[in-house]
Amino acid sequence: MDMMEYFSNADLVGSSPILALGTFSLIALLVNSLVKNSQKIVFWVCVAGVVVSLWFAFDNFELNHTAFSDMLLVGGYASFYSILFLVITLFALFLSVPYLEKEEYHLGEYYILIILSTIGMMLMGSAGDLITIFLGIEIMSVAFYVLAGYFRTKLSSNESALKYFLLGAFATGFLLYGIALIYGTTGTTNLIRIAAQYPQAFMDPLHLIGWGLVLIGFSFKVAAVPFHMWVPDVYEGAPTSVTAFMSTGGKAAAFSAFILAFSVPMSMHDPKLTMVIAILAAASMLIGNWFGLSQTNLKRMLAYSSIAHAGYMLIGIASGTQLGQQGITFYLVSYGLTNLGAFGVIAMLEKENGKNLSYEDYAGLARTKPALAALLSMFMFSLTGIPPFAGFVGKYYLFASAVQSNLTWLAILGVITSLFSTYYYLRIVVYMYFREGGEELPPLSRISFATVVLSGIGIVVLGIVPSLILDVLKSMF
Amino acid sequence: MQAYIPIFLMIGVGLFLGITFLTLQRFLGPHRPNPEKLSTYESGMPPVRTARERFSVKYYMVAVLFILFDIEVIFLYPWAVNFRALGVFGYIEMILFILILLIGYIYILKKGALQWD
Amino acid sequence: MNLYEIVFYFFAIVTVGSAAVVVFSRNIIYSAFSLLFTFFGVAGLYVLLNADFLAVTQLLIYVGGILVLLLFGVMLTSNTISVELKTGTLHILPATILVALLVGLLTATFWTADWFMSKRASDIAAQTTSKEIGDALVTTHLLPFEIASIILLVAIVGAAMMARRENPKSQIPI
Repeated sequence: MDMMEYFSNADLVGSSPILALGTFSLIALLVNSLVKNSQKIVFWVCVAGVVVSLWFAFDNFELNHTAFSDMLLVGGYASFYSILFLVITLFALFLSVPYLEKEEYHLGEYYILIILSTIGMMLMGSAGDLITIFLGIEIMSVAFYVLAGYFRTKLSSNESALKYFLLGAFATGFLLYGIALIYGTTGTTNLIRIAAQYPQAFMDPLHLIGWGLVLIGFSFKVAAVPFHMWVPDVYEGAPTSVTAFMSTGGKAAAFSAFILAFSVPMSMHDPKLTMVIAILAAASMLIGNWFGLSQTNLKRMLAYSSIAHAGYMLIGIASGTQLGQQGITFYLVSYGLTNLGAFGVIAMLEKENGKNLSYEDYAGLARTKPALAALLSMFMFSLTGIPPFAGFVGKYYLFASAVQSNLTWLAILGVITSLFSTYYYLRIVVYMYFREGGEELPPLSRISFATVVLSGIGIVVLGIVPSLILDVLKSMF
Repeated sequence: MQAYIPIFLMIGVGLFLGITFLTLQRFLGPHRPNPEKLSTYESGMPPVRTARERFSVKYYMVAVLFILFDIEVIFLYPWAVNFRALGVFGYIEMILFILILLIGYIYILKKGALQWD
Repeated sequence: MNLYEIVFYFFAIVTVGSAAVVVFSRNIIYSAFSLLFTFFGVAGLYVLLNADFLAVTQLLIYVGGILVLLLFGVMLTSNTISVELKTGTLHILPATILVALLVGLLTATFWTADWFMSKRASDIAAQTTSKEIGDALVTTHLLPFEIASIILLVAIVGAAMMARRENPKSQIPI
């Protein structure tokens, strides 16, 4: 047989962002094993890999085809998400260095695992096949399990890793079982070919059960209620720099694959599935925001906030419209920048052994560190959805998509729960500005500060000129 | 299916022999135990504690690496069955696959994960 | 009863019987060893279904690898050997109803499902699956095949990280 019909230059070009990052991760691993005390070199190799990969992803943006026998989508959507993941990774890498040095726990493997998980994310965001989605999820998750337990001497970090691993492996089981059933009823794992069998395949209950199981797997990865139990403990126990990366990159990757599997290639508007997703969205918004109200630890509060935001984004999937998908994508960009910034501030202020993380510890921050307090307030406003920050635009588009597909009740619920969330987001602002207290803090790292400022600028710019991203999105979908 | 009949026969014969010999020795062999004979090391040291102790985590490393390379073998197997037909292209792919894992192997060797001191 | 059925029931009994021991045994070591026979029985069933590659995978990975790891896991943990496992039933009535419902649902869906049957002559005539899988791995499934090595790499690095010698300040990990 002729092998070359399965592999051509187009495949190589199409997968170049992934290949580049993969090559650099292997180089970094070799450097790490052959050179002693090579954390700094490994870090720069990883940064170089991300930059090169970014260049390839930009280069591929105009393309529109598939690679490797329809396993991988190239250009447009895939490139956009690759760029998003890579930018998030870049932010996370620069946030991590000062944090790890402060905690005196600096190993080269950390950076390697970060970019390896980015490879998984890029596979998920450009998957044309359920197998690619599964492999991407696995690469990302295994790296996350290890990163969550990175502080091996800390009990909370170990607990976080173990909980994440056990529940995550269980969820992967659901996903894989679902994929198997879908394959059993359609004879293919390729998303486009499955879509071609819509709607007659949906007459088969087994096929529907398959999608239901896949939905459970995805709901776990995006942290939607009722598959959210792991989130608070994992986010709290993991190193803060890892939490920043997990809550932004991991969520964005899970949603990118979610959109691919449930809407883009198949334009499925199965009413049963839509209703289930709408209920998941409603439950996530309600429970995430409800439990967010009573938190006293900032990392835990942001964990519940992450559950609530998963709910908002699920609205876009439930709507099943292009507006909804654009809304999710925009939301992921703004949520990514906001959360990286918020966790960046938290990582800078955190003290040894997870101290200095409660609301009380932030009292009087406006006096001791006015710039940080202002930035953190901005991030909280953006999470609440107050204009002129990016979070507002994202929410607007998601709620509009719900109204467009006759899910007005979901939009109303979204607005009401957003009002709830104002209480706990703005409480931290009140503590920072209107409470006395707070001791003098040591000088903060400049790299972290620059990264946080950059994400702050990002959310303001996107909030005022959302068309920067929205125009790109409109050309994509 | 027919190709497996010898294997099933082997399983059957193996089970039959094992079960018969174990049952026969119970009836035919002499059975006169005493405490000395039943001790763990008959003419050696008397055991002090239970043999079921907690193991070092190093054993875990070995076991995990064993499984990972076991999975690698599973990927080699279908390729090896069809080695000639898959040609140079398949060979290059397999080399690439093994190379990536080789880098992982270099990593664990250099980090001393298999060192036993 | 022909040979096929005899062999099927043999493997079925081995699988179900040993699985019952895994669940009901109060000694975790016995459970782990009994799992060996469960895996073996499943491998036999795969052979009966003409899925020879799956059978080999089952034997190599599960019997040869996972089970060893499982036993290591038991031995690495202190106190598990002396601990009496709690295998008693807690709520018999709700459990029975739930299990009955689940079994009914699964059986009904599998019975009514419209399974996809390949119409390609080469698929129907195929006696072994290993060759087909080998072909697919280097042609249509080239990308997943190479990506699988990345997953294994992540697992290697992850395992080394998790079991490393603890001395972070000396900057020499493991």
